[in-house]
Amino acid sequence: MSLKTPALLVGVCVLAGAAGFGIYHLQKGAAAPAAAIGSAAATNATAPEAAPSNIKLTDLAGNSHSLEEFRGKLLVVNFWATWCTPCLHEIPALKKIQDDYGARGLQIVGPAVDDADEVRKAGPGLAFNYPIYIGSAEEMLDLMTKFGNSEGGLPFSVVIGPDGTILQRQLGEFSAVELAGLAEEHLPKQP
Amino acid sequence: MKIRGYVVLSSMFLIGSATAADVWSKKSVAGPDLLPADTAFQLVSAQRDGDNVKLDWVIAPGYYLYRKRLSFEPVQPAQAHIGAPQLPKGENVHDEHFGDTEIYRETLQAKLPLTKGAPAVQQLRVRYQGCADAGVCYPPVTRVIDVAAAPR
Repeated sequence: MSLKTPALLVGVCVLAGAAGFGIYHLQKGAAAPAAAIGSAAATNATAPEAAPSNIKLTDLAGNSHSLEEFRGKLLVVNFWATWCTPCLHEIPALKKIQDDYGARGLQIVGPAVDDADEVRKAGPGLAFNYPIYIGSAEEMLDLMTKFGNSEGGLPFSVVIGPDGTILQRQLGEFSAVELAGLAEEHLPKQP
Repeated sequence: MKIRGYVVLSSMFLIGSATAADVWSKKSVAGPDLLPADTAFQLVSAQRDGDNVKLDWVIAPGYYLYRKRLSFEPVQPAQAHIGAPQLPKGENVHDEHFGDTEIYRETLQAKLPLTKGAPAVQQLRVRYQGCADAGVCYPPVTRVIDVAAAPR
């Protein structure tokens, strides 16, 4: 074998590796909607991931809403439940951030993975300053799966940019500091 | 021999690329890596044993089940009846929202007394709910399970 052959083989190997990496990424991207906790879709700077479309939500009065209503806002979709201690612990931080950044374009919404009657009972005590939505357990688990959480762990939040792309998924509590950081990063600066 | 070396090198590169892609993809969900609920809380057996039905769970380290969120209901036969569940003493914890409560870690055995004169239960609906120490809770689980006869 000449000296050129090993160099050629190494070159082919590197190209094969790069192709494998690229194909792997494309496959992961295609599997985005059903991705499990901890292995959600790949995201990168050149291919923003669009939030699932046609998401319908029902408010406590029984009225139907679409997430599209919030297009143009920095949207935090926070899945929660009355039986979930970390969810209840997180709510004051969410309320504070809604108060602090609502006027600048932040909107939190809270689909409850819970019995509707339990949510109605707990609602007044929790004094939400953002809309709460209800649905059957199956509907809410299906919705969370569409957002990349197939195991149903709570709390689970998805941050959606004003252009409808997913900016972040968070399993477990957001702190007020983390939420404020997101708001400062993605909302227009104050004059 | 040299060619085999290059093939190994190429394979390592491909594996390395896949691993890098995995790490990359996991960045898109911030927070802890969690077990699926069925792995975190394994209901491993349901067996008639004398005058009781015994249910056994294996709970993964770092996960726990709430005592007050356990419930049991006979499904088959329709006339089957069970008494009040006998549960072991759990770990006492104070929850800021739910007050003093008991949780189970590692293992749990629940005993359901069979009612004398009633047909033995063959199928049960079991509900349970738990959380991870990492600060994430799972939705309540409902399972309809067959009850096995005790081994002879």
